[in-house]
Amino acid sequence: MRYIFHAVRMNLRAAAQYRASFLMQSVAQLVMTGCDLIALLVLIDRFRHMGRWEGTEVMFFFGAMQIAFALTECFGRGLTTFSSVIRKGNFDTLLLRPRPLLLQLSLNACDPRRVGTVAVGAAALIVSSLRLGLVWTPGRLLLLALSIAGTVCTMAALFLLEAAFCFFSVQSVELINMLTYGGRQVCQYPADIYPAPLQLLFTWVAPIVLCLHYPVSWLVGKPMADFSPFLLWLCPVAGPAFFALMTLAWRAGVRRYRGTGS
Amino acid sequence: MRKRLKPYLSAFRLRALLETQYRAAALGGMATQLFFGIVLCCVYSALFTQGQADVTLAETVSYVWLQQMLFRALMASEGELMEQILDGSIAYTLLRPVHQHTWWMFRTLAQKLVGVAMRLLPMLLCMPLLPPEMRLSLPESPLAAAQFLLSLGCGFLCVTQINLITMAVSMRTLDNRGISGLINLVMMFLCGNIIPLTLFPPRLQLLMRFQPFAQALDAPIRMYLHAQPPAAFALSLAVQLGWTAALWALSRQMWNTNLRRIVIQGG
Repeated sequence: MRYIFHAVRMNLRAAAQYRASFLMQSVAQLVMTGCDLIALLVLIDRFRHMGRWEGTEVMFFFGAMQIAFALTECFGRGLTTFSSVIRKGNFDTLLLRPRPLLLQLSLNACDPRRVGTVAVGAAALIVSSLRLGLVWTPGRLLLLALSIAGTVCTMAALFLLEAAFCFFSVQSVELINMLTYGGRQVCQYPADIYPAPLQLLFTWVAPIVLCLHYPVSWLVGKPMADFSPFLLWLCPVAGPAFFALMTLAWRAGVRRYRGTGS
Repeated sequence: MRKRLKPYLSAFRLRALLETQYRAAALGGMATQLFFGIVLCCVYSALFTQGQADVTLAETVSYVWLQQMLFRALMASEGELMEQILDGSIAYTLLRPVHQHTWWMFRTLAQKLVGVAMRLLPMLLCMPLLPPEMRLSLPESPLAAAQFLLSLGCGFLCVTQINLITMAVSMRTLDNRGISGLINLVMMFLCGNIIPLTLFPPRLQLLMRFQPFAQALDAPIRMYLHAQPPAAFALSLAVQLGWTAALWALSRQMWNTNLRRIVIQGG
């Protein structure tokens, strides 16, 4: 625990050294998500409906997905930039320290700039929930938090898989980029508007839809599958399970690692 | 005249040759653009349930594909300039008896042309593999095709000026993720890459069509979809060239100021 606080403090202090740059990059994050939100508003203004969903309901999905992705990037920054860690030989430094590898990686480059995206996502969630007149009980809030947490695990697992590939080839693999950044693009709208292959990919291969869309669609009042409450609460567990699976690939990579650089 | 242009043309040729070496990057980029194109087409298929008065699904699908295929034209290699500034090798470039602004303009243009061609052709070959309603349709008429190509040329010139401004900003801040990253984001949005500009509400159309970023890809794509009558075509081309000239003057001014301030350190 002390290590975690120390690492977070160091990150914040490092960011504070370049205040203007830090501020600009936070604003850039805000603008990026803001542009996506404006695009969604333009679409809603023109079309009113997306598949069987009202515009406001789509906005709820959008908010939840943006928050999940921003949190993943915040804590998974060390994984998303892993190919450069390997190339520069910095990975050896991490191996030498008597701390858990993944914890070091995620805290090494923990990226507080993502607050901009979280803010836009939270705004979208709150506005759409008010307009939908959703009633929030502690249980429902917990389910929302759990499904976002499950999605963060899923996305982190995908970044972990990408990092594990770096042990075998230093060039990052585009295919996984389609799952990570593609997943962000696909899953910001309710999944059932897409053709079956895309739905299957993001439900059962990379279980973002399972973790996020099934519970959220129930919260909005238009469930995507008629799951019993028990199954519904079980959905977000797919995230940690997927993550555990991917750590196997990661371990195999670490065992194979022989060092780069000098 | 020819003699004065010669160094710039050779910079153009060399940068073009260099770009053809990045084949793996082109392939990866193409795969990503293809995937995002398909996803966007799915979204618009779900959205267009009843007929829309001013835009059709087929037009929007074509718009999306042209944006994805020409995406590379939007980005510039300011990373290259940054690297040169940070490691001091910019000194060699500065020693060349050329105007830096024009030199980098030709390099950026070369990178765009070759980069786009390397992604566009294989993506066109992939089109027949998609379901028919998701394919890029042909230009409306030969006239539309001719107008599209002419306007696209002007679009490349215009977006190059925008890139040169971004580069001038990063020369100041020495950080190509801050302000210039922000300009790039706004550019992606206002160029119509995130959402087709044709889908904006009618009352905003005038504004969206005539802002500088729309001159890059949006103006040519509109001609691809519908051939313009001569007067409208002339107006559109004039707007493109007008913005190009204005942005050229601005970016040249910024470069001149920057070049006066530049300090080479180390030896």
